[in-house]
Amino acid sequence: MADHGEPKGEGRAGDGDERRRGFLGFVAHEVRNPLSTALWSAELLARISAEERGGARGEKLSAMCLRSISRVRLLVEDHFLCERLDAGGVAVRRDAVPVRDAADAALERRPPDVGQVTVDVAPTVLLQADRVLLERALDALVATAGRDGSAVRIACEPAGDALALVVAGKPPDAPALEDPVKGSPSEPRGRALALPLVRRIAAALGGAFSVAEGRYVLTLPRPDVGGARQDPAAYP
Amino acid sequence: MTDPLVLVVDDDPDILEAICDILGTESYRVARARNGLEALDRVDAERPDVILLDLMMPVMDGVTFAHALRKRPAVADVPILVISADGNPQRAASVNARGYLAKPFDIDALLAHVAAICRRGGEPSRAGL
Repeated sequence: MADHGEPKGEGRAGDGDERRRGFLGFVAHEVRNPLSTALWSAELLARISAEERGGARGEKLSAMCLRSISRVRLLVEDHFLCERLDAGGVAVRRDAVPVRDAADAALERRPPDVGQVTVDVAPTVLLQADRVLLERALDALVATAGRDGSAVRIACEPAGDALALVVAGKPPDAPALEDPVKGSPSEPRGRALALPLVRRIAAALGGAFSVAEGRYVLTLPRPDVGGARQDPAAYP
Repeated sequence: MTDPLVLVVDDDPDILEAICDILGTESYRVARARNGLEALDRVDAERPDVILLDLMMPVMDGVTFAHALRKRPAVADVPILVISADGNPQRAASVNARGYLAKPFDIDALLAHVAAICRRGGEPSRAGL
């Protein structure tokens, strides 16, 4: 057994290096397109006359600049958090977080192309999580499930000793849980890393993440309250 | 003499819009395509003077498009300028391109390359930009 351990380990390390190179190549490619249009639109705005800047062309270029910068921002922030979680560089809190509050916060921040969002979670339902990370995950799930005007429903379901936060909406376009690699399809809204980030957040919070038929399922521990688990019957 | 026709091929709608805006102000005629398959249709219909070609696209990528283009006698000699975010200039050689611009490239670099390919020569004008 031992003599097979090292080669297998090296093989896994080699595969991991290859995946990482592919992932970083994808991220670089994905950032350069909106970075290009951000730079070009800003430069064009600086070059055109004040009169034209106030007209239709100026409006078009301004909108393109804002859209491009927003896309770069999403990609960069998601990538940084992915890297920090991979490196164990995030101090993860384990608080009792009201799911309804976190969902409502995500609802407030939803992108404009997201359809109607229904939060079907009682205010008393708690998850053991880091509030900031949970909200980042919910932001990503609402944006992904609700894209192109799709309706979204956020609910909770018992999952053994844990609790499943279920976000139902539009299914992902491609196998989206794994890290994209160079050559993977581009995502025009800057959300290419959304689901890989949720996968990392789930792991950091001691949970799991899966997708099936338009249901994005984030399973997280229930909080300990006064040394005892909450009554599972209290959860819908 | 009509203005040169530039076909811009890229799957990113903002990239298409921005490049067409830039070229339009320099009096180029512009056509656009979102992938290699659409580009083949445009090439057959309009025979552009130069093609600005992204490489990584859905449906049909830039390399596949270029190989298909070279097999069409009527348009096989249309020059290609690769515009790519993949950071690998060697890929331009694989499609026998006249040049390679790595995104994000400078606006003036784009205009200079297109002018040179279209034999306009000289420094690109900034008029109208």
